[in-house]
Amino acid sequence: MTLLFALAVGVIFGSGAYLLLKPDLFRITLGIVLIANAANLALVTSGRERGASPISATAGEAVSDPVVQALAITAIVIGFAVTALLLSLAYRIYVSARTVDLDELSSAEALRAEEEDSRELSV
Amino acid sequence: MADDRPHARGAHRVLAPASAILAALLLAATLIAWSSGGGSLDLPWAPALGLRLHFRLDGLAVLYILLATGVAVAVFAYSARYLPLHLAHGGRPAGESVRFYALLVLFMGAMIGLATAQDLILLFVFWDITAIASYYLIAYDRHEAESRWAALMALLVTGVSAVLLLIGALVLQAEYGTFSLPEILEQVRPGGAVTLAGALIALAAIAKSAQVPFHFWLPRAMTAPTPVSAYLHSAAMVAAGVLLIGRTYPVLESSRLVLDGLVVVGVASMLVGGLLALSRDEIKRLLACSTFSQYGYVVFLYGLGGPLAATAAGLYVLAHGIAKSALFLTAGAVTEATGGRNRLSDLGGLARELPVLAAASGLAAASVAALPLTLGFFADELFFGAALERGAGYALIAVAGAALTFAYLGRFWIVIFLGARQGGEARAPRLLVVPVLALGLAALAGGLVPSPAADLAADAASASVLGPAEASVAYHLDLRAENLMALGAWALGSLLLACAGGLRDPLMKVASIGARLGPERIYGGSLVALNRLSDRIHDFEVRDLRTRVASVLMPAGLLVVIGVLATPSAGAYTVGSIRVRDAGLVLALLVACAGALATTVPRRHLTLALVVATVGYGLTAVYAFIGAPDVALVAVLVETVLAVLLLGVFSLVPADVLRREAELPTRATRRWRDPLVGVVSGGVAFMLAWGALSRPVRGESIAAEHVRLADDAHAKDVVTAILADFRALDTLVEVTVIAVAFLGVSSLLRRGRLL
Amino acid sequence: MTSVLTVAAARLLMAPILVVAAAVLVKGYADVGDGFSAGVIAALGVVLQYLALGREEAERLLALRLIGPAVFVALLGALAVALIPLARGDALLEHAPAPGADVVELGTIELITAVAFDVAIFVLVVAAVVGIVRAIAHVAEGEGEGGQ
Repeated sequence: MTLLFALAVGVIFGSGAYLLLKPDLFRITLGIVLIANAANLALVTSGRERGASPISATAGEAVSDPVVQALAITAIVIGFAVTALLLSLAYRIYVSARTVDLDELSSAEALRAEEEDSRELSV
Repeated sequence: MADDRPHARGAHRVLAPASAILAALLLAATLIAWSSGGGSLDLPWAPALGLRLHFRLDGLAVLYILLATGVAVAVFAYSARYLPLHLAHGGRPAGESVRFYALLVLFMGAMIGLATAQDLILLFVFWDITAIASYYLIAYDRHEAESRWAALMALLVTGVSAVLLLIGALVLQAEYGTFSLPEILEQVRPGGAVTLAGALIALAAIAKSAQVPFHFWLPRAMTAPTPVSAYLHSAAMVAAGVLLIGRTYPVLESSRLVLDGLVVVGVASMLVGGLLALSRDEIKRLLACSTFSQYGYVVFLYGLGGPLAATAAGLYVLAHGIAKSALFLTAGAVTEATGGRNRLSDLGGLARELPVLAAASGLAAASVAALPLTLGFFADELFFGAALERGAGYALIAVAGAALTFAYLGRFWIVIFLGARQGGEARAPRLLVVPVLALGLAALAGGLVPSPAADLAADAASASVLGPAEASVAYHLDLRAENLMALGAWALGSLLLACAGGLRDPLMKVASIGARLGPERIYGGSLVALNRLSDRIHDFEVRDLRTRVASVLMPAGLLVVIGVLATPSAGAYTVGSIRVRDAGLVLALLVACAGALATTVPRRHLTLALVVATVGYGLTAVYAFIGAPDVALVAVLVETVLAVLLLGVFSLVPADVLRREAELPTRATRRWRDPLVGVVSGGVAFMLAWGALSRPVRGESIAAEHVRLADDAHAKDVVTAILADFRALDTLVEVTVIAVAFLGVSSLLRRGRLL
Repeated sequence: MTSVLTVAAARLLMAPILVVAAAVLVKGYADVGDGFSAGVIAALGVVLQYLALGREEAERLLALRLIGPAVFVALLGALAVALIPLARGDALLEHAPAPGADVVELGTIELITAVAFDVAIFVLVVAAVVGIVRAIAHVAEGEGEGGQ
């Protein structure tokens, strides 16, 4: 079972990393979502024990590790908040630069920096 | 934002008298409390941290509260007339006066708290409240860039130095184990830590009282409306600095170094302030320079040490507070009366048309210049006595300072009220003159019957030096040293006054050199440098983030792989067993993995969003099968909201932009680089996860402990108990993150409008 | 785009969804569920209204003006639960009643400060998620497209 979990973590993480390298802001955000999912999976499966759910546990029964579950809930919610923020950021970038392509953005910024430098020199 | 609702107009008219009455009541209450022996209040605040709400009304507190509330009465009465005129000049609605009075009353309250606080952290809290209130008051004319700049400067200088006060308090706490001032002052002995704390506290105090080299914020702060300058920057806020010195005096006294430092700073401020005041043209700036010069006297006295000097310092603060606020109010009245003239070169001969104002401000000016029949005369008498006690050199410095004071005040009063008449008609509303008259008469009364004030100063001194102090002040018509020094000062001062015209140009030159090379330049320069540093870092890091990320991920991944392969790891990886009833779990994992792999395929954003959602839902099933129902519930809900969010944001961006992205051909290099990086990082994650999950279970884990304790927490669901009880602090931080994210999304999507 | 059936179903479902959210919140201590899940359920109910009815109808149906400040009021509530024990001399976030002490019960709900904490989280999550969706809806409306 551990091998399968580890494989799943690896696959999801790898797909997320692949998306992260695309020049599209939205794809980058989705890549981050996938990586966060992989991390949460690793977190939940790293619980010491696995058994019944930790609700109304009777003594002696094998119960799934509740600590990692609590941590995972926190991580999922924070991940959602960060994703929401990233999405609005991407939208805002679109509004001000009319593109969501990172290549276009960085070349535009390089152009602007060159202009500023040349303007400073001329003054 | 205009606030001109009809009822606001009526409300603000009540504010000025109400505040004045409040100040008067506090004044009366303080006097009554003092005459019945003072009192104290001691409540626990945060016992776990050793903090107490400890207030005590002793001589020192009474002196500063008297100043804060007494001058407040005059200032509120003055503002009742001044503020409507000021707002009308700027075309601002009358409702803005609510903010003014609220801030001033807050400030007065903070001064009372500061004066009576006996706990170092409590002191620091009130200290910062005064700094914040001062920031808003200086920038009262928000639309003026200069006001905002001045307010920021004041806030930064006093705020950063407040941190020094906090550090000093912490050093004392580390040394003596308590924040409570009476306990610390009892146990103070000379030593390294105490010297450090004393130095830090002294630095905070001199920054607050605008002493050299932190003097540059005070003249700038004169962009504030006149009542604010009269209250804050002559009688209250700058007084807080010397209040701190008086309150923690035994700590400072234990180190010769700190006291000598105070002497140097005091003398420098005296002379720099005096010389600057002699050369200033704008009347409020002149008075500002005079203020920090006068506080230089006080710092100098505290540096000299001894009960006589401490008494002199107390009396000086009192006399100066009364007289200087009167002079500031005069400046405002004169400007108002002449329709906006605020430079000495434009004013003259107003005594004929404003006789009452001339007489009242004459009394105030005489008090600061230490002429007989005023409270200031006795303050200077004690000052000379204390300086003489320490040596002839100090006495000479004292005389020089007094001479400068006499000179620039003489220039101030003579130029404005005597001499050739300049400008047109001058009319000052009565309510602008009466407070000045009241304060001037107070200075006169102090000059005729000095013992109450002197006793109060002695009381304050005995609270400072923790020993007996007394002041016997009376008119002595003999040739004692103090009288001779006073006469010398007046003579020298008159000489300076006579050649004031000739001296002006060289003084202006010196002043401009100071401005170019002095501490204000350092302040401005450091702000610019900080900005530039931040720009540099941004350029370096953010220009092309992805290439940098990829260039880091690859080598890091390879290194980790090499490391993992190289370490002996036989038996460290277990495959684990798959039971038949885990079939659902395996299926769910397969779905999640398939979804993840599938995200590499779609080109259109909508499809991609749905595929990513699939991964999330697959993982939800995994959580459910694994015995983590709470996590599964949260995961499925969050995934749903995320899907809605994604679709929502995609709908905001026009279809053609998205299509452009979708149909972009991948560059040749990227076609092999991206999958490679994906595989390598996936592989690394796999190895790490496998290694971590394979670790054998050793001994009892915290989990079992939590399960056991959940019963005590009245919970049957252990996970909820952990979230809301055992690890509630994590949850608190997490909801803060959510709140901040909400703020961010709100302002990003609505172009800065928050809610 | 939305049919009469969808609109009617959405309107009818609002109340039950809120009830389910409240149930999940309340029984979070004894069974599956906690403040977060309840909050997101309630928020999803509101989002359903937005999706089915469109922005104007939905905002008229629910009193959403106070959503923004609600986030911070809830945050202050959570902070209060955290900091009030300090004033009483206990450690940070120490819940009352202490372990082993008597607990006031309201039916099957136990009134402990941890529940108050959970309620604060619930309000905060609802307000934050609804606020985010609302921001998107406002922008969509502003750009002349139908809110999605």
